[in-house]
Amino acid sequence: MNRPVISKIVYVRRTFLYLIIAMGGILMILPFYWMIITSVSPVTDIVAFPPRWIPSHLTLEHYQAAFDSAPFGRYYLNSLIVALGSMGVSVLFGLLAGYAFVVYRFPLRNFFFLLVLSTLMVPFQVTSVSLYIMLAQIGWVDTYWGILAPNLGSALGMFLIRQSIKSIPIDLIEAARLDGASEIRIVFTIVAPIIKTALATVTLILFLGSWNDFLWPLIVINSPDLRTIPLGLSLFKDPYGGMNYGPLMAASVIATFPMLIAYVFSQKYVIEGIAITGLKG
Amino acid sequence: MVNQIKQWIQVARRRHYIHPYLFIAPLVISFTIFRLYPSFQTLRYSFYQVELLKQKTTWIGMENFLALFEDEIFIRSFINTLKYCLYMVPISTVIGLVLAVFLNVKFRMSNFFKAICFSPYITSTVAAAMVWSWLYNPQFGLFNAVLKLLHLHPQSWLASSRQALMSVIIFSIWKIVGYNIIIFIAGLQTIPNVYYEAATIDGAGPFTRFFRITLPLLVPTTTFILIYNTILAFQVFDQVFVLTGGGPAHASTVVVMEIYQQAFLKYRFGYAAAMAVVLFVCILAITIVQYVISERREVVY
Repeated sequence: MNRPVISKIVYVRRTFLYLIIAMGGILMILPFYWMIITSVSPVTDIVAFPPRWIPSHLTLEHYQAAFDSAPFGRYYLNSLIVALGSMGVSVLFGLLAGYAFVVYRFPLRNFFFLLVLSTLMVPFQVTSVSLYIMLAQIGWVDTYWGILAPNLGSALGMFLIRQSIKSIPIDLIEAARLDGASEIRIVFTIVAPIIKTALATVTLILFLGSWNDFLWPLIVINSPDLRTIPLGLSLFKDPYGGMNYGPLMAASVIATFPMLIAYVFSQKYVIEGIAITGLKG
Repeated sequence: MVNQIKQWIQVARRRHYIHPYLFIAPLVISFTIFRLYPSFQTLRYSFYQVELLKQKTTWIGMENFLALFEDEIFIRSFINTLKYCLYMVPISTVIGLVLAVFLNVKFRMSNFFKAICFSPYITSTVAAAMVWSWLYNPQFGLFNAVLKLLHLHPQSWLASSRQALMSVIIFSIWKIVGYNIIIFIAGLQTIPNVYYEAATIDGAGPFTRFFRITLPLLVPTTTFILIYNTILAFQVFDQVFVLTGGGPAHASTVVVMEIYQQAFLKYRFGYAAAMAVVLFVCILAITIVQYVISERREVVY
């Protein structure tokens, strides 16, 4: 008598669960879907009411218009240079510093460690005002160096690397020293491969942060051929009426496309990595 | 003498006296020059009138700060930032928690949905805000189209001085929820199943289990989420810049927007520095308060 009733409750509960999750998922992804659809829909479809969820036919005219009005290729190059530069330097500095903070005991170790961590407390807006003035005085405004300056090193990155180095048994390092390896060699040929996953996570997080950075490029870049993608995209905006949203959406797709593709392939690592940073915090 | 020095150098190399300082030097030097020194300079500049082109700084004491109190636009931006924080943080935390609880159940597509929910977080805020400005378009945007289909009133969204800030808040909630979900799921997975099993044996229903076991044990995670979301809320800029540019007549401007305007559009660096100091103090104060409150509520079973 009881069994059919209980399984019905479980069934209802499960369906409820799926419904909520499905609704959540749809709401999350709706803007992306709409972005892509608008970018390939003819103008008549864009302004149509009721809204056309599936375009009547596909058109690439908006992508053509987008590429014609802004040098997205150049923007990609700039974003790539800045992101790779800041990520590479930050990982390198973080690896060296993380290693030193774990393996050595030296005077003022805690002082320097807190010094680095304190940069996390100060919001970037506070730094940016004076940093701009300083860079203006040495002529770094509107240069690649200027864009990279505040991103040469990451406290978060160093912290994560340090955490992962902590789990390496010191005997391993001692053994390498006995074998005559120099410290530098130990860092790059022994420690780095062991903490590969953490390094990959830090790399991804730093690359992502730099690629999406907007405020600092906005402040420090003046000339058009230095613009990064978020900056270039933001200048695209000035639509009058519903006619120009096609190219705008095409530009948005162009801007987000590489990240989304990279995300599709690496999402497991990214999500796990972010989750770990949350736990440590 | 020379031999003694040579010996000492050998000892220093073997015992790694210099290595630590060499290794931390790049990071420390880079930060000192490009992060720490400018931060102190900002504090210093807030007491000056800074004229960059004339290379002149004039001491004016507290004048910048006093002017802030009378600056209607700054006060507006400050209130907006507070409003933004008060709406965005609780809503995104609660939604994140609820969805995390649902997504924590192991069902076939759970990883897929996790990835979907996280995707807004990794997209560039500028690009996502562009899409939302299209969604919010009063005449042709999707939101108003859906409202019209449901026979409801179309809204002005970003064009209305009453709704502009709220529209930005909704965007930000959409963007950050995925991150909250992931962190909450990580936190949920640290709660041992035995607690739930024991509670179920003792006759506790799902809601009791949630409020008596899950929530208390999630306090550290929740604290982290609250603090992180709050810091993000106070520093919001990208989406305000793209969606409203400060809103119809400063209706949706926020503190960082004003800092940007004053420093880099009007070149009033001293004034902007004062704003930045105020921002910093607020963030610090709220972070400390949140941290202290959470320490008292932490539960260990």
